Amino acid sequence: MKQLVRGRGASGIAAVLLSSVGCLAAAAGRAAPPVLQSETAGITPFQGLTPHDLVYSAMDALAPPGIRILDGDKAKLIGTVYSSQYAGFAWAPDHKTLYVSETYWTLGNRGKREDVLSIYGGPTLSNEGEITLPGRLISDPKTHAFALSADGHYGYDYSFQPAPSVSVIDLKQRKLLTSVEIPGCGLVFPFGERGFASLCADGALAVADVDAGGRYVVRRAGRFFDVMNDPVMDESVADTREGLALFITYNGWVHPVHLADRPRFEKPWSIQQAAGLSPATSQVGAINWRPGGQVFAAYQPATARLFVLMHEGHPWSNEQAGTQIWVLDTRGHKLLHRWDVPESASLVAVTQDAHPLLFALSESWLWVLDGDSGAVLRAMQIVPPGLVQVRGE
Amino acid sequence: MKRLGVDNWGERLTRRLAGRLSRRSALARLGALLVAAPAFPLLPVQRARAADAGNGTDFSREAQAHDDTACNYWRYCGIDGNLCSCCGGSVHSCPPGSQPSPTSWIGSCINPADQRSYLIAYRDCCGASICNKCSCLGTDHAMPIYRPQANNHVIWCIGANTFEYHCSMAVLVGLAE
Repeated sequence: MKQLVRGRGASGIAAVLLSSVGCLAAAAGRAAPPVLQSETAGITPFQGLTPHDLVYSAMDALAPPGIRILDGDKAKLIGTVYSSQYAGFAWAPDHKTLYVSETYWTLGNRGKREDVLSIYGGPTLSNEGEITLPGRLISDPKTHAFALSADGHYGYDYSFQPAPSVSVIDLKQRKLLTSVEIPGCGLVFPFGERGFASLCADGALAVADVDAGGRYVVRRAGRFFDVMNDPVMDESVADTREGLALFITYNGWVHPVHLADRPRFEKPWSIQQAAGLSPATSQVGAINWRPGGQVFAAYQPATARLFVLMHEGHPWSNEQAGTQIWVLDTRGHKLLHRWDVPESASLVAVTQDAHPLLFALSESWLWVLDGDSGAVLRAMQIVPPGLVQVRGE
Repeated sequence: MKRLGVDNWGERLTRRLAGRLSRRSALARLGALLVAAPAFPLLPVQRARAADAGNGTDFSREAQAHDDTACNYWRYCGIDGNLCSCCGGSVHSCPPGSQPSPTSWIGSCINPADQRSYLIAYRDCCGASICNKCSCLGTDHAMPIYRPQANNHVIWCIGANTFEYHCSMAVLVGLAE
């Protein structure tokens, strides 16, 4: 055995020597490698959001603020835009212009307060200026605190000063148009050319739209849910283009509302019943599958599919992270799939293309799933997320 | 909970004012504030939802009354944030370097020591950077943000000199029964 090893060692040395001689001969016949060229510092161009990009903000105070853009196909960070804490954001329909609703103080934690809508765009996603706002809501991130009209002409920013109002911004002229008071109501769900709806503290919907004179008129459209026992969640989903909102309650009732001057309220249906289970109740000790998390639901209008983070929990556990994503057909009120989430997730988003990616986010991880099969395709570490958005189609 | 009469009265008044006055008028703004006023717990006793102390809540079943640095301390049934008790302050005082918010959100929690329901005013301490200790989330009857008086996502430093969030405390207001 030892002789055999020794023999192999001798032949190996010979092979290396021969190889070295060969390499020297080759090098002698080849030119020296070129000197590396000097470089000019620049900025990687931004081509606009692609259908599989995910954009997310950081959870305030837990991570450096900023709006981060990820490539969902590669699970890779491709850019970051500066923002204050407690910022909201939205992309224009051109997929290249980013609006950030944010607040600064001249001395950091004090001084003069400035509420602004910052605009980013161009080939390098650079700052293009600000529009001064009369106030803002400062809270944990809320998707529906800032939204655009479907055509991107108008922006609506919910303000809580503490009297509630909505700042209407003309984004083409880049100026504040007006401030619309919405007593007892909050958040914005745009519809039509210039309208928006808000949820109210008594379980009603407020609708605001311009009259013939171009002035906003606000009216209550009636109560449609029991705010004390089963309120509609802030992060319910809406399709601005179609003017359809799916208001989802703590117990998992979906209230489809066609937003308009005269909104049309469809009969509510239960997520649990769609899965063949009993509806969840608010009764103490009642453990049921329930919707929950931060941005707990995502909607794909083209297929009418609703993706909801679900957990097993007691009443009022609506902020608990989901261990499963339920995929529901909102037309037939049927459960299509129940997919396990690696660990658990608090935010979900789905791309709007024909081969969708489904994003599930925890405090430190992003999982990219196949939107049709639920298979986990890739994962990456992230900072604690606040809000998520994908490119609208 | 049944709506208070003043809510309805204020809403009716605002609608009338809105119909007769220009949107920019000072009176219309006053009307809006009248309606919005119940959202700000100057008199929180009226605004809290009294939990059914007899049945308890899912939070109260696990609550304790001896350690105010733990998330299941009974007063924290509706808190969201870092406990001031872990940051140099107490359950009702801000740590040095920060200041209490003049406004608060409201919850009602059951004290396991006497099984009574008490009103709690949750106040943020503002001005220092986040304490980042003892992060707790109590969601017992916590309301969405469009019902702000019982919402724990709003940064309640409204009215303070600064909006920098540091920690949250749970100040006992009185009996909710």
